[in-house]
Amino acid sequence: MRRSAPLKDTLTYLAALAVVGLFAFPLVWMLLTSLKQRVDVFSSHPFAPFTPTLANYQTVLASDFPGQLLNSVVIALASTLVALVLGAFTAYGFSRHGAFKGGDNLLFWVLSLRMLPTISVVVPFTILFNRFGLADTRLGLILVYTIFNTSLAVWLLKGFFDEVPRDLEEAAMLDGYSPPQVFRRVSLPMVRSGLLTTAVFCLIQSLNEFLLALLLTDTKAVTAPVGLANFQRYFGLEWGQFAAAAALFVMPVIVFTVLVRKELVRGMSFGQLE
Amino acid sequence: MKPSRAFTLSLFLPTLIFLAGMTLFPLLFSLGVSATDYQFGGTARFVGLRNYSGLLTDPRFWQAAFNTMIITGAAVSLELAVGLLLALLFHRRLPGLGALRVVLFIPMMLSPLVIGYFWRFMFDPTFGVISYTATRLLGHPVDFLTNPRLALAAIVIVDVWQWSPFVFLLALAGLGAVPADLYEVASLQRASAWMQFRYVTLPYLRFPLLLALLFRTIDTLKLFDLVYILTGGGPADTTVNLSLLTYRYGYTFSEVGRAAALSWLLVIVINVLATLLISALKRPAASPVPAGAADA
Repeated sequence: MRRSAPLKDTLTYLAALAVVGLFAFPLVWMLLTSLKQRVDVFSSHPFAPFTPTLANYQTVLASDFPGQLLNSVVIALASTLVALVLGAFTAYGFSRHGAFKGGDNLLFWVLSLRMLPTISVVVPFTILFNRFGLADTRLGLILVYTIFNTSLAVWLLKGFFDEVPRDLEEAAMLDGYSPPQVFRRVSLPMVRSGLLTTAVFCLIQSLNEFLLALLLTDTKAVTAPVGLANFQRYFGLEWGQFAAAAALFVMPVIVFTVLVRKELVRGMSFGQLE
Repeated sequence: MKPSRAFTLSLFLPTLIFLAGMTLFPLLFSLGVSATDYQFGGTARFVGLRNYSGLLTDPRFWQAAFNTMIITGAAVSLELAVGLLLALLFHRRLPGLGALRVVLFIPMMLSPLVIGYFWRFMFDPTFGVISYTATRLLGHPVDFLTNPRLALAAIVIVDVWQWSPFVFLLALAGLGAVPADLYEVASLQRASAWMQFRYVTLPYLRFPLLLALLFRTIDTLKLFDLVYILTGGGPADTTVNLSLLTYRYGYTFSEVGRAAALSWLLVIVINVLATLLISALKRPAASPVPAGAADA
């Protein structure tokens, strides 16, 4: 009955394509710029055809950028891993044994860390990190990123644990499993895909973080976003190289986004919507 | 078998000790700093509430508070409107729309730093593609980043580009939750398109949209990366918001005490707003589905 409106369908497609074109334009433009020589970047006719070159990518790969990218990856992976371990325990706790007095408030407090302005923690962290030798170290950033990743992991994983049928756990108990065994051998394997989803969101969140990395690193532990900002400050007009570095940095995140597209609502709403 | 107390504690304690140690201690430390005239590397003298009163008499603070309100108000309302329209457009079940949707989800997953620089490049008055297009369409270039009013607009435009898709994503989930037979009942009762939207669709959108409002309001209030990259607070400090002002107090003017005071103010404002919005989220919907439709 509803299929009898070809005009409406066509209009929907046209509008959808226009919208997608508008939203995708900056990304396509970045990719094109990364393939341009300097003369083409500064051309007064930006839409004129040009001969693509990979020179920008070669320059970027020979610069400090790969090292900064490595810092980013190491810091993101480590803070995600710790957050997953802490998060899995505590999310299971809130899901199965969270009915104690004050449990709801505690859970809400973990959520409220999502609201904390980064600028408010960075001031004390700068002072404390200088005092305890954590400034400009990977370990320092791993510690701070683990805060925000753990908060996210607890909320996302709680949702996944809530979906595990309790009958399964009760059956395992009848078979003589102790509560820790039930957790490790029954519940945890059931949320395997949830752990993977959570890991992806923690990784993206850590890779993209800028302010803490800007103020808590200097030379050794500089991450990719800070490296890009420094590059821009010193070589402000090398937009082709900047675009190439940005494209290298952004590409894995785009792949991740497509991989977790079915769970985006859950991840981005902090587990409040599915 | 009751779980042992030791097992339950081991589930909670490591996380809670870590999170409390890493957040409550720095925040309390920062509260202490806000009552001193500390400078990085220097010594601290107790000054009581002088940093807070100094803040309230500093015109830069009021300008930043005003800018924060303008950016938040404009960006969040536009994001809700654009996101909702996108959801209504893309909700139709047509082949291929799903693949197009994914493209829209990409901007919000990307680093705000990359996005900020990239838009700055596109806004550039001499070789930026936006300026070029404006010259073609209007006959004169438009320099977004050197005109105070347009610079604020530029921040809003980029935030809307990045975050409307977030509202879109949540609204789409809300639309997906409306049972199809509700629409059939509504059309049997000859409800107009507006009535269908108002009484069938909107109740299901209430929670996702409030949730989007909560996240977007708080994230725009504490916005830092985009302002820092896109305008750097300029031209002539006209686009400095509260996060950027805190940064400047601490790291440019070396008034760490005042930076700590302002950062505490920001925490309090955000907490109050979040509490208000969350209590609205918890309240059950005021206008449920019209009688008869629910049990169809």
